[in-house]
Amino acid sequence: MDLVRFIIKRSLHGVFVIWGVVTTVFLLRFVSPSRVTTFILPLDASQETRDQIASELGLNDPIYVQYAEYLWDLLHLDMGQSYISGLSVSAQVFSRLPVSVELAILAGIIAIVLSIPLGVISATRRNQPADYVATSFSLLGISTPNFWLGLMLVLLFAVYLGVFPTSGLARMGGERVLFPRAFIQLLTGDPQYLIAWLSHILLPAITLGTYFTALITRLTRSGMLEELGKPYITALRAKGLPEVLLRYQHALTNTLIPIITILGLQLGLLIGGAVITEAVFDYPGLGTLLVDSIYDRDWITVQGILIVVGTGFVIVNTAVDALHAYLDPRVSKQ
Amino acid sequence: MQSYEALLRRDADGNIQPELATDWERIDPGRFRFYIREGPRFHQTGNELAPEDVVYSINRVVKPSVGFESPQTSQLAGVTGAEVVDGERAVDLLSDGLNPLLPRQIPNNGQVIEKEWAQEHEKSYIAQHINGTGPFQLTSYEQDVRAVFERYDDYWRDEAAVSRLTFAGAQEPSVRVNQLIEGETDITVNIPPQSVSRVRSSEASITPAPSTRIIYAAMKTTVEPFTSPQFRRAMNYAVDIRSIIENILSGFGSATAQPTLEGFFGHNPELEPYPYDPEQATQLVEESGFADTTVTLHTPVGRYLRDVQIAQAVVEMIDELPNVTAELKQREFGSLSSELVDGDITTGPAFYLIGWGNPQMDASQTLIPTLTSDGTLTSWQNDKLDTLVEQAQNTSGDERKQLLQEANTHAHNQAPWIFLNRQYSVYGTSPRVDWQPRRDERIDAYAVNPAE
Repeated sequence: MDLVRFIIKRSLHGVFVIWGVVTTVFLLRFVSPSRVTTFILPLDASQETRDQIASELGLNDPIYVQYAEYLWDLLHLDMGQSYISGLSVSAQVFSRLPVSVELAILAGIIAIVLSIPLGVISATRRNQPADYVATSFSLLGISTPNFWLGLMLVLLFAVYLGVFPTSGLARMGGERVLFPRAFIQLLTGDPQYLIAWLSHILLPAITLGTYFTALITRLTRSGMLEELGKPYITALRAKGLPEVLLRYQHALTNTLIPIITILGLQLGLLIGGAVITEAVFDYPGLGTLLVDSIYDRDWITVQGILIVVGTGFVIVNTAVDALHAYLDPRVSKQ
Repeated sequence: MQSYEALLRRDADGNIQPELATDWERIDPGRFRFYIREGPRFHQTGNELAPEDVVYSINRVVKPSVGFESPQTSQLAGVTGAEVVDGERAVDLLSDGLNPLLPRQIPNNGQVIEKEWAQEHEKSYIAQHINGTGPFQLTSYEQDVRAVFERYDDYWRDEAAVSRLTFAGAQEPSVRVNQLIEGETDITVNIPPQSVSRVRSSEASITPAPSTRIIYAAMKTTVEPFTSPQFRRAMNYAVDIRSIIENILSGFGSATAQPTLEGFFGHNPELEPYPYDPEQATQLVEESGFADTTVTLHTPVGRYLRDVQIAQAVVEMIDELPNVTAELKQREFGSLSSELVDGDITTGPAFYLIGWGNPQMDASQTLIPTLTSDGTLTSWQNDKLDTLVEQAQNTSGDERKQLLQEANTHAHNQAPWIFLNRQYSVYGTSPRVDWQPRRDERIDAYAVNPAE
C-alpha cells in the first residue's frame, strides 16, 4: 500500500515538473534575440511580409494569450504545427521518438550486460590482472569523447572493413526498420530485417553505451568493495555462508540500489540527449530534431520535443524510484 | 525542380529556356505574356495543365488574399498579379510600370501547382505532398531525413534516365564523405575542402562549380571609421583575398571586385579585384583620419563554406596594419541575421561577414537588398547608387546594363564592402553517374545519367 501511495505521489510531482518544463521553454523564446521569421523568410523579405507572417503564426499576440492558447491546445493533445515546415509537431516527434528510445535501450542493455560482471570481477579480484584490465577499460571509456569514438568506429568497421553501413537507419524496400518490425519478421522466419536493424544500430549503440559501461563498471566495483567490507558480510562469512551467495545475493543486491538510480537518470537523458552520436551516425532521432529546431528557432517544435522528453524522463524516474522503493522498503516509508 | 516546374527554367550555364511556357513576350510595360504549353499533366490527378493553374500559382505567391502570405513574395518582387488571356492559351503577368526583371525572375519561381488540388487540401498536407508536372513524383517524405521520388512516366519531355531518386539529409560533413566513399550515395553536396584529398583518393571524384553566392564583409558607412571611403578602400587593400582562396578554400573560390558576379546581367568585366597592398592600406588609413582605431568583424559560424576561417584571416590581415587593430566576434547565424534584416541601418553590427545568393543572376537583385538605402540588408546610404539603380529598374536592355555596370563601378570605388570571394559549391560524385553541376546550387536530377 505504501508503494502505491508512493507512486501516486511521484506521478503528481511529475505532472508539476512537466508543467514547469512547458512554461520555462515557452518563456525562453522571448529571451532569445532572434526571431523565427528570419528563418522562414529569405533575407531580403520586406518588413511587411515579416510582420504578416508573424501575425499569421500568432506571434504578435500578447504573451499571456499565446501561453493560454498553447496550454489549451496541449490539454487537447495538440502540440501545434511547426513554424518552418507547417507539419504537425506530434507527428514529427512521435516518428523520431521510437528511434531514440530503442537506441537508448540497446545502449543501456550493452552497458548493463558488460559492466556489472566487469565490476564484480574487478572488485572480487582486487589488484589482480583482471582488475587492472577492467579499471583501465573503464578509465578509457569515461575519458573517450563520444564523437571521436563514433568516428573511429565508422572508419574502422564501415570504411576500412566494410562490415557495417556508415550511417542512417535500417531500411527495407524504402521503409524504415525498427525493432518490433524486425522481430515480427524474424518470427515469420525472415532474419533479414533483424540483420539490417542490428547492422545499423550496433555502432551507434556501442558508441553511446561505452561511457555508460565504463561508468557503471566503476560504480559496481567501488560499491562491491564497500559492501564486502561491511560488518554484516563478516558476520555472514563467520556463519559459514558460501562465498558465492555472500557476493551475489547480499553484496551485489545492495550495490545495485544506487546503480539503478543512476541508470534511470542516464537513460532519461539519453532519449533526448544523444545529439552527438546521432550526428556522427546520421541517426534520425529526437536529439537531432531538437538541435535542428533550435537552430531554426522553431520554438513550437522545441516545446513539443521537450515536453515529450520531459515526460519520458519523469516516467523513467518514477519507475526507477518505484523499483528503488521495492528493493529498499525504507525509501517508501520516508 | 524535380517535381514542380515553372514557366521558364535555366539550363546548366544559366541561360533562360522554355519550360511550361512555350513562348513569351512583353505586350506593354506593365504586361508580360507567357504562352502555356499543351501536354503537361499533374502527378496526383492526371489532369492537364491549364492557364488557370498558372494564374493561381503566381497569385498565391504575390497576393496574400489568395490563401496566405507567401514567404517567397520577394522572389517575384514587382509582379503584382497574373490573369488568364481571353481566347488564348496564355497568361499575363502584371506589374506597376515596367518590371525589367521579367522574365529573368521566372525560372525556379512561381512554380505551378494544380489550382483545384491546392484549394482542396490543408497547408500541412501540401507541405508533405507534391502535385506538380515535373519529371519525378514524390513517393515518400520524412522531414529532414529523406525524400524518395519515382520517375513520372507521363512526363511531357523524354523520360528521365534516373528511375528512382533519394535525397538523404546528413548534416555532418564526415558522414556525407563516408557515404560517398563507401558508394552509398552518388552525388554529395558541400564536401569540405579538407576532405577533398580523401575523396580524390577513392573511386569518387570532386566536381566544383561557381555558385551565385558572393561572400563579403560589409562596412556600415554610417558608423565611424567606415564613414570614410579611404578607410574602406584601405580595408580592401589590406586583405589578400587570393591567399585566402588558395590556402583556406583550397582554390575553390574566385576573387571579386564588385557586388555583381561574373556572368550576371550588369556585371562590369573591366573591374579588377583590389590588389593586396598593405603599404597603400596603411597610408589610406592615415589619410582617412581614423588611424589607431579598433574594428570588430562579426561572422556567422558554419553558415558559409569556411566562414569563420575566412573571417579569421581577414581580421589577422587587417590587424597586421600598424595603425588598425582588428578583432573577431563569432556569432550564431540566427541572431546575427535577425539584427541585420530589420531594414534599419542604425541597428546591428557595423562590420560583418555575410553571403548573398542571387539565383536571378541580375545585378539589381544584389544591389537593391544589400546596398540601396532602403534595402532590407543594407549597409550603405548613397544617393548616386540609389539613383543609378532606380534608373536601371525603369529601363531595359543595353541601357539598363550600362546603368547597372556603372552602379557596380561606383560600388567598387566607394568600397562599402571588403570584396571577398565567390563561393564555390564542391560536389562529390560516384563513378556510377554522369552529371555536371549547375551555377545556381540546384541539383537537376533530370540531367543525371548513368555513367557509360
